[in-house]
Amino acid sequence: MSPKNKVRKEILMGNQALGRGLVENGVSVMTAYPGTPSSEILPSVVHYGAELKTPPYCEWSVNEKVAVEVALSAAYTGQRSAVAMKMVGLNVALDPVMSSAYIGVIGGMIIISADDPGPHSSQTEQDSRLLAHFAKLPVLDPDSPAMARDLVGPAFALSERFQIPVMIRPTLRVCHGRQNLNLRQPKELERTPVFKRDPFRWAAIPKMRLALHHALNAKLAKIQDYLSKSKSLNKWHAPLRPRAPLGILASGVSAALTRDLLAELGLPVEEGKIPFLQTAAPYPLPVGPVSELINGCRRVLVLEETEPVLELLAPQRDSLWGRGSGHVPSAGELTPEVLGEVLERALGEAKLKAPRPRGKILTVPDQPPMRRPNLCPGCSHRAVFYSMRRALPTGVYPSDIGCYTLGMNQGAVDTCHDMGAAVTFASALSRGLNQAKDETPVVATIGDSTFFHSGITGLVNAVYNGSRFVLVILDNETTSMTGMQPTPESGLTADGHPGNALDIKKLVEGCGVRWLAELDPYQMGDLQKTLKKAWRWCKGPEGSVAVIIARHACAAQRPKDAVASPCKVEVAGQAEAVKTSFKPKDNPCADCGRCVAVCPAGALTRVGKGRIKIDQAKCTGCRLCAEVCPTGTMVLEPAGACVACGLCSTWFSCPALAKDARGYISIDRGWCVDCGLCAEVCAHGAIAPMEESK
Amino acid sequence: MSRLKWQAVVAGVGGQGVLFVSRALASAVEPKAGAILISEVHGMAQRGGAVVSHLKAGKFSGPLVSPGQADLLLALDPGEAVRNLDQLAAGGWLVVNAPDLEFLSPKAKKALASFGAQVLTVPATELAGQAGTAKGANVVILGAAAAAGALPVKLGELEQAICQGQPQARAQANRKLLALGAEAAAQV
Repeated sequence: MSPKNKVRKEILMGNQALGRGLVENGVSVMTAYPGTPSSEILPSVVHYGAELKTPPYCEWSVNEKVAVEVALSAAYTGQRSAVAMKMVGLNVALDPVMSSAYIGVIGGMIIISADDPGPHSSQTEQDSRLLAHFAKLPVLDPDSPAMARDLVGPAFALSERFQIPVMIRPTLRVCHGRQNLNLRQPKELERTPVFKRDPFRWAAIPKMRLALHHALNAKLAKIQDYLSKSKSLNKWHAPLRPRAPLGILASGVSAALTRDLLAELGLPVEEGKIPFLQTAAPYPLPVGPVSELINGCRRVLVLEETEPVLELLAPQRDSLWGRGSGHVPSAGELTPEVLGEVLERALGEAKLKAPRPRGKILTVPDQPPMRRPNLCPGCSHRAVFYSMRRALPTGVYPSDIGCYTLGMNQGAVDTCHDMGAAVTFASALSRGLNQAKDETPVVATIGDSTFFHSGITGLVNAVYNGSRFVLVILDNETTSMTGMQPTPESGLTADGHPGNALDIKKLVEGCGVRWLAELDPYQMGDLQKTLKKAWRWCKGPEGSVAVIIARHACAAQRPKDAVASPCKVEVAGQAEAVKTSFKPKDNPCADCGRCVAVCPAGALTRVGKGRIKIDQAKCTGCRLCAEVCPTGTMVLEPAGACVACGLCSTWFSCPALAKDARGYISIDRGWCVDCGLCAEVCAHGAIAPMEESK
Repeated sequence: MSRLKWQAVVAGVGGQGVLFVSRALASAVEPKAGAILISEVHGMAQRGGAVVSHLKAGKFSGPLVSPGQADLLLALDPGEAVRNLDQLAAGGWLVVNAPDLEFLSPKAKKALASFGAQVLTVPATELAGQAGTAKGANVVILGAAAAAGALPVKLGELEQAICQGQPQARAQANRKLLALGAEAAAQV
């Protein structure tokens, strides 16, 4: 055996295994938009594709709809293509996905939609298998990284045999599981792309669509028959036995975990006490083996994530135990803990005894509080959120999907819905407030990648319809949350093919925005002035949407660029907090309202012209009111030491600002990256650059 | 030869190198176990949130460890040790990055003592800091765990799994950190 053909065994992440499977099966076009838990699939195709003479064409598409269309049209030309996304991306892509079932493909096409039961890193727990059913596309459900890789070949075969895209639906535990597996030789199919003109198919008008729908239904019936007969996709882990009181029907990770749990309970599948059918093809449901199981057992427990698909598609449902009967919870991940309880209940009700009931479990009181994720130390988004609260403290702040959703820790994120909704929500909220003569500032934040994905259409809509709000584009020149994938701004492409860089500024101007500023958010003073100026313009007679592009390198991707001039800070000691005082006799109040607006504790109330009431119970002594007072009426001397007011930890919320039990702050050197920004936050001058770095 | 069946839970906070530890353990036990399954957490949770990785070596199907089944709970953070104690099997090992068990409440300490787990505390962050790389605490604690017999492999096998293929300077540093941990375990 030549060294080239030697079998290599490697521990692969599920997403790498999928990437490997695609390359092993001759994929020539691969597209994706990053999203946890799917992000590593495309880079793995690039990585393993490099072993080939002509590596597959790979692109990070601007969004999932675009990604599906690019991959789909490649499959029209006879090439094998694949597209990967997280499940909420499938919602974005649903338009071309729906039609793809009717029109079909020539080359095999795989749609990978990665689900996130839990959810661990997503907005919903939606089940892509239901959307596959809705779109009338076959879907395969792997239980492990190895099975995910092994399903790629059968998926392409199914797709080409029936000329229909096939979905593979891995869940997070498959995507981010790791398993050792034997690598197979990558394959190059050397298919030349040919587009055969056939407008009656590729451009079918509604009348022809009806015929296509009939054809699709006939095709699905054939696929169902084909899947029913497949021995490899329907695995009997334990065969049917006469008069079995309980059987199990399962798919995906639940099937794998249940096998382990049964072994732990002393009922390993090898002993065959409980008939156990696992299907890798939830839709079209392999009715043959499923009916056999249901007819052969008194009760059948159905285990799958996250919605009842096998359960609803089963030909007879009376004897099923699952979500419909209340045996399986209808929300949340089916962890071993949850599945263990489900199994114990089912065994009990079926009057089956587990030879080894689950062992002792150590439970301790006094669980530690939940750890909230936080922006990295040195992240420029933190500076933006702090500046928003300082400059326009009474504002409402629609935001979007990405790292910067964590601006919630700083009280600067009020909405987070779906990709691009910061812009549309800001547009609608500002219009409503405007109508009600409410002058509350509306300041939206959106990341650069999210802006390219779905922000642009919302911006066009807002400008066209005359909305008035400030949009801050958080431009850290990468897609950070999902692992630093390049954005169109960089001009770098997924596999290194030549691309072109896009200029966000020109794009924004092209959307009709007439007020635009570009700046570095590390200049927090300038940023605050710019935010105020932008909002003043929005409110003015000529006002519309004002855009600020806040550009700074990502602290996780390029730490040296993010903190170009390090500044080590220290906390200058501790002092008792003193409450603020209002002294209009010495200096009359100008009635500007700044102190009331800026107070983070809501301790100040205007009780008449030039009269402010202080709620002593609420005042933390942070001194922001005295700092912003133009007349010196609000009086509080800087302590020059930490007074445990909590301003920096709530408004700046850096992981390096450690709070002790009494609320005093110290710098955690394990986290601090010397960005020096927190020194500008403290109004008492307690956080200051250390002598040597001054 | 019967194959090894061994389950571990590695817990910590984003940035501490939890995933490195579970991958290192996986490659160290792979020759004895044959099959390897690991579960990891990516995305939002990595930004300073709690990170936990499950490792199942040997004949298993699913990637997650059931409560009460972990032969080893290795915690890079004491708080995360507490959060994951329910994973520990009776007779299993708790190896935690802490000078002692004072991070546990008196009640929790009592519960742990009566549960019958084997316990090893290592001030790994402090030791790694003294060696000049506080970030190396994860390697120090691995060295301690191997030396104390909390792993199904010997220190040498672990060292080979970690240092294999690494640039020489990096391998050298890791050997030193492993030895520091092993030394600390010997003193207990």
